[in-house]
Amino acid sequence: MSEPRSRRAAVTGIGVVAPNGTSTETFWKSVQEGRNVLDKVTREGCEHLPMKVAGEVRDFDPAAAVEERLIVQTDRFTHFAMAAADLALEDARLGRADTDGSPFDIGVVTAAGSGGGEFGQRELQQLWGKGSRFVGPYQSIAWFYAASTGQISIRRGFKGPCSVVAADEAGGLDALAHAARAVRRGTDVIVAGSTEAPIAPYSVVCQLGYEELSRETDPARAYRPFTEQACGFVPAEGGAMLVVEDTGSARRRGLPVRATLDGHASTFTGASRWAESRAGLAQAIRGALAEAGCAPEEVDVVFADALGVPEADRAEALAITDVLGAHGRRVPVTAPKTGIGRGYCAAPVLDTAAAVLAMEHGLIPPTPGVFDICHDLDLVTGSARAARPRTALVLSRGLMGSNSALVLRHGAAE
Amino acid sequence: MSITVDELSELMKKAAGVTVSPADLQDRADSGFDVLGVDSLGLLGIVGELENRHGVPMPVDAERCKTPRQFLDLVNSAMPAGA
Repeated sequence: MSEPRSRRAAVTGIGVVAPNGTSTETFWKSVQEGRNVLDKVTREGCEHLPMKVAGEVRDFDPAAAVEERLIVQTDRFTHFAMAAADLALEDARLGRADTDGSPFDIGVVTAAGSGGGEFGQRELQQLWGKGSRFVGPYQSIAWFYAASTGQISIRRGFKGPCSVVAADEAGGLDALAHAARAVRRGTDVIVAGSTEAPIAPYSVVCQLGYEELSRETDPARAYRPFTEQACGFVPAEGGAMLVVEDTGSARRRGLPVRATLDGHASTFTGASRWAESRAGLAQAIRGALAEAGCAPEEVDVVFADALGVPEADRAEALAITDVLGAHGRRVPVTAPKTGIGRGYCAAPVLDTAAAVLAMEHGLIPPTPGVFDICHDLDLVTGSARAARPRTALVLSRGLMGSNSALVLRHGAAE
Repeated sequence: MSITVDELSELMKKAAGVTVSPADLQDRADSGFDVLGVDSLGLLGIVGELENRHGVPMPVDAERCKTPRQFLDLVNSAMPAGA
């Protein structure tokens, strides 16, 4: 289907519920300060498991964010999603009064990697412990990947295009790209993003099978990509939702275009085949730049996938220079997720939120806890670097083999 | 024995997360479950919980009842007399 060139997708609202902040303001403050909030896993039932470090969202009260009915009927990942969507919509000044009159002009796209593990575990324990008659009916909707999309759209009365991307961690970027396409095709607003809640016993046990998972017990040493001490990644919960809106619609509403989503591409190179991800990620970057009409030298900052597995880190560093050439060794690269953890599909959405905020604030946030880089990259470490980034490249790879790249431009460039 | 408004109120909270006090529920016994905030999955959960608690199957139409009064009348008609 052709997309009219006259329409362009902007970011007009950001809502964050993350381990380092449950509002966009606290998230950005923590990110720009390079705070490391990774800590020992304290979630009930998880303490004895060999995944010792994670990014837990501790400053979140579901009862304060969503209705009692929805707390009972949905999983923690959907509580995060509804809360983040509310924050994003408020940020974009879209209240019920603004959307009720034209419900078909707003849709929802989320990405999900693990679904509702905590809810699912509770009901599956009923199944094994007592029998099928003791499984609650809300199990049928709460643990699905699509739950957050459905609940946000029903709760806010949105009837525009709704979908869920279940495409590995890079699906977070794919969801934003899907939202941008829907906007270019004619829907004014898409609430898009991802939240995850993979810190429940069942979900943790599922992750223990990943050889890329960090087994380090010291939070300060558990997630150090691009260094010789890299020993895997640390998972996280939470995430972000963005309001993706037609630039014309934003202008009509008198809202600033904070950034534009201009290019995206994704490839697939196979589960845990990290050396091969070099070519796949490079191809995704090429595709995203081409769609954005962006020359390699125009990229002002790269938000790296930063898996923390030596072979994967090497592949990513090489992919960046494969496409950006000599510029790839000079362009500032950052990975705020080393201070937050890697929230699966939510990780690249948080990176995208950070990229928008970095362009707004003229500040490239650092990579917490990472020093002594062993790759040919200008990784921003220590403290934030003052800059005037106008174009950001966000990278993401999934453990199952997906690679995606997203190009954003600062709103002033629009 | 029969299922009371009190028990229904308690189950609405437990199974569907909807809080309506027993007194309120008594007053609003002819309101639709949808108006009270209980959807079809919620009512299904309430029926399942009652069956597990009381050890008797509920009538097949129980989950299709539109109002608390209809529901209580129907499920109580299915409770064994004197049980």
